Amino acid sequence: MLARMSNSTTVTGSDLAAGSVVPDQGLGSLLGQHRGPLTVDDDFLVLDDPIEQEDFCHPVQVDGRELQEAVLMVQGMYCPACSETVEAALGGRRGVESVRVHAATRRVTLRWDPAQTLLSALARNVGQSGYRLLPMRQALSVEERLAETRLLMWRLFVAGFCTMQVMMYSWPFYITEPGEIPYVYDQLLRWANWMLSVPVVLFSSMPFFQSAWRDLRHGRIGMDMPVSIGILVTFIASTGSTFDPTGVWGHEIWFDSLTMFVFFLLGGRYLVSRLRDRTAGALDVLMNRLPEQCERQLADGSFETVSLKRLRVGDVLRVQAGIAFPGDATVLGDSATVDEALLTGESQPVTRLRGQTVVAGSYNLAGTALVRIERLGRETRFAQIVALMEQASTEKPELVKLADRIAGPFLVAVLLSAAFGAWYWWQIDPALAVPIAVAVLVATCPCALALSTPSAMLASAGALAERGILVRRLLAFESLCKIDTVVFDKTGTLTQDRVVLREALVRPGLTAEQALELAWPLASASLHPVSRAIAAQARPAASAAAPDATTATSAAPDAAPQSAPDLVQDVPGAGLVLERAGGGVYKLGSAALCGLDQDQLLAQGLSVADAPCAYLSDEQGWLATFVMDEGVRADAAAAVADLRAMGLQVHLLSGDKVGAVQRVAQQLGITQVVSEASPERKLEVVAALQAQGAQIAMVGDGMNDGPVLARAQVSFALGHGAPLTQSQSDLVVQSGRLSELVQTIGQARRTMRILKQNLVFSASYNGSMVPLAIAGFVPPWLAGLGMALSSFVVIGNALRLSRLPDFPAPDPALLPVAAFTR
Amino acid sequence: MESLLLLIPLSVLLVLAIIGVFWWALYNGQYDNVEREGERILKND
Repeated sequence: MLARMSNSTTVTGSDLAAGSVVPDQGLGSLLGQHRGPLTVDDDFLVLDDPIEQEDFCHPVQVDGRELQEAVLMVQGMYCPACSETVEAALGGRRGVESVRVHAATRRVTLRWDPAQTLLSALARNVGQSGYRLLPMRQALSVEERLAETRLLMWRLFVAGFCTMQVMMYSWPFYITEPGEIPYVYDQLLRWANWMLSVPVVLFSSMPFFQSAWRDLRHGRIGMDMPVSIGILVTFIASTGSTFDPTGVWGHEIWFDSLTMFVFFLLGGRYLVSRLRDRTAGALDVLMNRLPEQCERQLADGSFETVSLKRLRVGDVLRVQAGIAFPGDATVLGDSATVDEALLTGESQPVTRLRGQTVVAGSYNLAGTALVRIERLGRETRFAQIVALMEQASTEKPELVKLADRIAGPFLVAVLLSAAFGAWYWWQIDPALAVPIAVAVLVATCPCALALSTPSAMLASAGALAERGILVRRLLAFESLCKIDTVVFDKTGTLTQDRVVLREALVRPGLTAEQALELAWPLASASLHPVSRAIAAQARPAASAAAPDATTATSAAPDAAPQSAPDLVQDVPGAGLVLERAGGGVYKLGSAALCGLDQDQLLAQGLSVADAPCAYLSDEQGWLATFVMDEGVRADAAAAVADLRAMGLQVHLLSGDKVGAVQRVAQQLGITQVVSEASPERKLEVVAALQAQGAQIAMVGDGMNDGPVLARAQVSFALGHGAPLTQSQSDLVVQSGRLSELVQTIGQARRTMRILKQNLVFSASYNGSMVPLAIAGFVPPWLAGLGMALSSFVVIGNALRLSRLPDFPAPDPALLPVAAFTR
Repeated sequence: MESLLLLIPLSVLLVLAIIGVFWWALYNGQYDNVEREGERILKND
């Protein structure tokens, strides 16, 4: 039934929209047939509902075909072997374009052709192999996670409590010689032991059996297979000797070892799952910050609470303090104070005035904000960030792929060596054969090895994401450690993408501050970049001078900007004219507007030729010349110095004019400079450096440097100018702060260091345990403890990456600049 | 010594009973957020 449906049913778009393709009785009979270890009784049809799909799917174009892509959570997946099962269940199906499964985050990125198959059909395929596909939002919801945690805790408690009691019953055997306990009591203790081991085996050990069985049915050997065999062998042998003490099973019982070993394994799994929740937590927090519902204004001005899905562009919303904005929106009230840490990585209140935009996912900090929705869902930058993080987290680094490949043969070797150990010891002392075989099975399980790489990379990516640094490819960590050269683009990277005031030349008798005060009313009335640069410098001066206007010179009798009736006229393409209410006309703009002769000013040294200038004049003529400059980012010099200190070469590669590039290079102390480079020339320069063996990190604004970014080993995009989905860089530094570039390289180095520690630790753990176990030095309970502890150590070590060390708080002195550049 | 014939089976039943009590506590949500009580002193209400 299932095969027929997914292989031969052709589904049209309209069918899909109507949700009428799968007949009801078909669904019922399918669920009846399901034999997976998990109870899959979902209403799969929900997965095909177009409104629900908006949440977790998005269309992609491949070779002119309309495909759907979704990132889904796979419930019941624990190890790389599981991920193969899921991949096998989905891959090769009709209509399935690509499948990527990631065990550590339990996510799958699935791309399918909606014209050929339905998501519900695919979910049923996966359901039959014993796993469950959930949309991300649902998977992360409290109930799902709660149910999973509760069950795991319940299993753990049963194992733990029974272990304690089984140990009590076993104690007499430890302190007596065989035959010292009267036969009746001896049997009584054995039965009591058996009674309390049954729940441990039949209930607590279920996850191991389920996953081993799942692998077996697919003809593979999974990580839980040796563990399951170990549990079963010990239990059967001990049961046999309990009820037939003189029989073939011998007289020994190992219930204490068995229960304790299960308890340790479950304890390890419980802790690992909690740690993993925390590792993925940073990403989840980022992804799940939108509110479930919001308050929409009705025609009569009252508010109704509606679900996020019902929102449409143009709706007016009331957003309470502490709630995230559900979409990109325009502020309708006087102002809103928001936290845009999502974009900048810096939790700092930012004021947005009436008519300005707030972004989806940023928090409203103070008061109730009234906003009009401009963009929703996939259109928002927030959605782009989430999509990008989801993609990156399902990516498989090379090391993981290698681990997946060797896992199968390795486990076969484990089984063989356990069999060898059992056979060898059977000849020496049959009583030792079972515990030694079990110890070998358990001690060699490569759980820690499988966890070491993905846990480190995900912890690191999560930590960086909290700072607004997005890692598009986890592999970038690896390449980032190898780089020896950093190549910067200039515009938008080392410099701001706007002008700043370099200096002010003023009329004799006037100070620069006074000139700026005079220019403020003009400059603040315009959004022209030059005006904004002047206004940014003038504002502090004007407000500082206001309380002490008596000391102002006659040139500026009433400089305070609050003289309201002043009239500012915008002369397009030329500048601004201010007619002061108390008399007097000031002009700010080009030389022509101000009635000045530029050549004459140049000759007098009152203007400069190599930079854009703006002039200020009154009725008496020239007042001041404002010389503009590209602003070098405040932290650029420090960042370049830090990169040098890390042993990296710094190059500057720009398409700009020689003079401008040289000025920036000199300020920053960069000696290797290429200017006036076309995109092709940039590519040549980078390729030439690579030919000399350089490993290059390219830093650009993500918009104009596509080919070069792609060519370099690692690429950074700075700032949030470019749409994330289009930028080609491996890493995106959203705040645009160059210091975070340095920190990211540092973090990548730490990541690789910890990753190597993990690999060395887990490989040497497994390597040293095998001979010890075969030699009979490791009892099964110790092997279980070792296995749990080694996984725990690996994850714990990786978690150290989730905090960035000495990430400096932004220098307070730079904050006004930072506030303005935003 | 004969008392052990009664006490050991009783202790087995007791263990099973305690496990049952824990099941009740767990599925009533007592362990869902173990940090909650600790965090409560930080809250205003």
